[in-house]
Amino acid sequence: MSRGVNEEKGNRNVPRPNVVLLSLLMATLVAWCGLDAVSVAPNRIVPGQGHAAWDVAGWSGLVIGLVPMLAVLALAWRPDRQRLRWALGLVVAMLAALPAWLALAAAQLVDADLPQARMGVGAGGWVGLFLLLLALIELRTRLSLSRPLGWSLLLVPLVSLVGWLTFGLEPLALRQEFLARRDGFIAAIAEHLLLVGAAVGISLVLGVVLALAMRRWARCRTFGFAVLNFLQTIPSLALFGLLLAPLAWLGAHVEWLAALGVSGIGAAPALLALVGYSLLPMVRNTFVALDEVDPGVIDAARGMGMSRGQVFRQVRLPLAAPVILEGVRITTVQAIGLTAVAALIGAGGLGTFIFQGLGQAAMDMVLLGALPILVMALIADALLGALTELTRQGEAT
Amino acid sequence: MSEAVSRRVSRGGTRWLVPLAWSLVLLSACVGMPWLEGLFRLVEPDSRSVIYARADFLTLLGRHLLVVAVAALAAVIIGVGAAVAVTRCAGRDFLPLVAQLASIGQTFPPVAVLALAVPVLGFGTLPIIVALLLYGLLPIVRNTLAGLEGVDPGVREAARGMGMTGGQLLRQVELPLAAPVILAGIRTSVTINIATAAIGATVGASNLGDPIISGIVNGNTAYVLQGALLIGLLALTVDSVFARLQPAAA
Amino acid sequence: MIELIGVSKRFGETAAVDDISLRVERGELCVLVGTSGCGKSTTLRMINRLIEHSDGEIHIDGQQIRDFREETLRRRMGYAIQSTGLFPHWTVARNIGLVPRLLKWPPARIRERVEELMAMLGLSMDEFAGKYPRQLSGGQAQRVGVARALAADPDILLMDEPFGALDPITRETLQQELRELQARLQKTIVFVTHDMDEALRLADRLVVMDGGRIRQQGHPLELLREPADAFVESLLGGEDRGLKEAALLTVGERMMPLSPRLLPRERISRHATLREALSMMLWRHAERLAVVDDEDMPVGELSLRQLVGAKHHE
Repeated sequence: MSRGVNEEKGNRNVPRPNVVLLSLLMATLVAWCGLDAVSVAPNRIVPGQGHAAWDVAGWSGLVIGLVPMLAVLALAWRPDRQRLRWALGLVVAMLAALPAWLALAAAQLVDADLPQARMGVGAGGWVGLFLLLLALIELRTRLSLSRPLGWSLLLVPLVSLVGWLTFGLEPLALRQEFLARRDGFIAAIAEHLLLVGAAVGISLVLGVVLALAMRRWARCRTFGFAVLNFLQTIPSLALFGLLLAPLAWLGAHVEWLAALGVSGIGAAPALLALVGYSLLPMVRNTFVALDEVDPGVIDAARGMGMSRGQVFRQVRLPLAAPVILEGVRITTVQAIGLTAVAALIGAGGLGTFIFQGLGQAAMDMVLLGALPILVMALIADALLGALTELTRQGEAT
Repeated sequence: MSEAVSRRVSRGGTRWLVPLAWSLVLLSACVGMPWLEGLFRLVEPDSRSVIYARADFLTLLGRHLLVVAVAALAAVIIGVGAAVAVTRCAGRDFLPLVAQLASIGQTFPPVAVLALAVPVLGFGTLPIIVALLLYGLLPIVRNTLAGLEGVDPGVREAARGMGMTGGQLLRQVELPLAAPVILAGIRTSVTINIATAAIGATVGASNLGDPIISGIVNGNTAYVLQGALLIGLLALTVDSVFARLQPAAA
Repeated sequence: MIELIGVSKRFGETAAVDDISLRVERGELCVLVGTSGCGKSTTLRMINRLIEHSDGEIHIDGQQIRDFREETLRRRMGYAIQSTGLFPHWTVARNIGLVPRLLKWPPARIRERVEELMAMLGLSMDEFAGKYPRQLSGGQAQRVGVARALAADPDILLMDEPFGALDPITRETLQQELRELQARLQKTIVFVTHDMDEALRLADRLVVMDGGRIRQQGHPLELLREPADAFVESLLGGEDRGLKEAALLTVGERMMPLSPRLLPRERISRHATLREALSMMLWRHAERLAVVDDEDMPVGELSLRQLVGAKHHE
């Protein structure tokens, strides 16, 4: 009986503990103390030797590192807005301090006499980073900060990371891996972006044309969606493989295609497959966007004497733009991932590092390929998402 | 009513025909591949062998299915469980974080997740299962959340007002109503996982991706075609099963 | 019997319901009426503990509602809401049988009960039993909702604007049916609405709420004749009050015995309301009406003077 009453009093006087933040920080604490924070290897191929956080600066160093975590825990216990802001500051500070801590660890643990020696981030470091990022998301949601503000919070740790990468942290494995193949890496990024851009561009044009055709002819709609759905179901590796044979044949037997660079492996089948995959989300979104414009608005535009072309260009298309852009976003993010697979058939791009690294069991090389792909996908998602929001806002005013 | 009933009756007899047909094609392709030697010889006239023989196609299919099934099963249990947990009173605090995580996570390319799993978990079948499980969770969590949130609040209110317990409400009302959306999530998850598992052949799992990878490495297009054909058929078979399970309305 | 003693509900700082006391006798139809946000729905939902009250006591047949398990309490009460809350994936029959099934009645008895209820609410078993809620019209869906609320034959029925989303004609039909049902079943009903005409038509006890408090409660006629304050008066319709009151009185209560004079041509049933009688006089330009019984036999007469004057003697 008294349960309800107590709850209410609790609500009125002091806020309930933020369970999410508490559990995240507890988990961070456990991961930081319990798992290997870094690993050190004498060279590229030998698996690293794990080191826990206290190996770096001893117990006292560990305790100093734990203070901000405990502070966030304490703040999360009775969270009002002010305390959550403090917690947010602390989490950002911890993220920013991570590279500095790594530099300290490198100085302590890596033998300066071994030029090949390198230090990797261990499970504890990755898990800690992941959990702190989650805490950041949670705090952003609780404080209802806008998306751009949330992203700009990440700038602080990023600047710190770039700074430390430039002026310290020489032994960090990723950095060494990058320096060892700097040219290849930059070329790979360019190839990757080129492929993604080409695929998205082509499928945008084709997609809009197809969607318009589908609006005009109902039979085209059923058939078109059936084919595109079918394509989307075929696993990427299989589609790349299936394209290999016919394109190889074309490249071998048709001269002008061969001159264009068409062959079984390489960019041609990759681009073809990427466009195939990109078409479904693009066509679907364009079709739905154009189809779902409020008929009342179209009716009004016609009634005012706008021509068909004017209605389409000035009314239907602008109103459909956000949903079409949404299609571009989905397509781009998907294409960034699929292009990585295309490396298997020699299309180049960052996937090359992943598969070469996997082949040589060189995990740092795998990371060098996988992390930028991840970052590219996130950035594309954020940018295109923001662009969509922008067109939506324009529509509202 | 008559409409629903007639649909059900007409589906009763024939609804499994399509998946059955696909699986028959898949199985006969697995078993009968050696008989197509002449055909593959056309593609690859100079190679010594044109039929992938390092492992039996049926075994590869079995392993592929096993990996996907184990990952999918675990993903369904964990994903639906998590989504249910965060929509209950006790877990509500976690809802915003889980929802955001599920939507951010879906921008991660599956290949990148697979690649990142290897440094942490090592080579072999287990890291692939874990990577598939992790990635497969996202669409399931996301759709389960959408399905549960989509239940008409009036229905929920009435159910509670009639004296249903939380468990009864969940089992008899919320989950059945959310089922089509949840199923769509599982379908997406499994489709992606079949594709990602094939790439798993590069990190030491032996499955239908093997012939493709080995064909690419050795420059044997016939191997590639065999693997691609079988994976494509597998994807279509599994997808047709889901297409049947899913009501037309959803 | 339902009794609320000094009940409050606070959400944070604000009190949605503030120290209200209310007693609904067995077989009484109590209507809570007021503008939106006045706390009437909150009050209703506290009775079946969809909302826990913060202070005071709520008793059902003399027992504190917190002595029951929530589910047990709710299964003892029928509950009908505006959006019906019918389960879209269940047939009409299964929806109606919900609470009996929760109470683990044997299937045969549930089937019997569902048939009985559908007959009672004028839903043909053959036509509707297998239908799904989306195939029903608004009025049909609401009937099913009421049938579901009545399924386990609860003593108490809680209804939250059940007819709010219906068109005026369907609404009036269902109101009439509810009155007839209530005359037969003698349930204890708490009914929430913001429609004063509906409230006046249905209520044995009318409770006017505002700002989480009860402004006035009593028989509808009491409120009409002596509104406690300007708010109640305006809510009751201000200048329309005379007509509203006339709508609550029947011709039978006011008529005079047959006089030796010529029987008037215009006839009206003794069960008609005074409002209807007045309307007929205006429409037919008649100052006198013949009052007839159910067999259409004259039993009395009503003149405009009686109709108007009679009210002043009350």
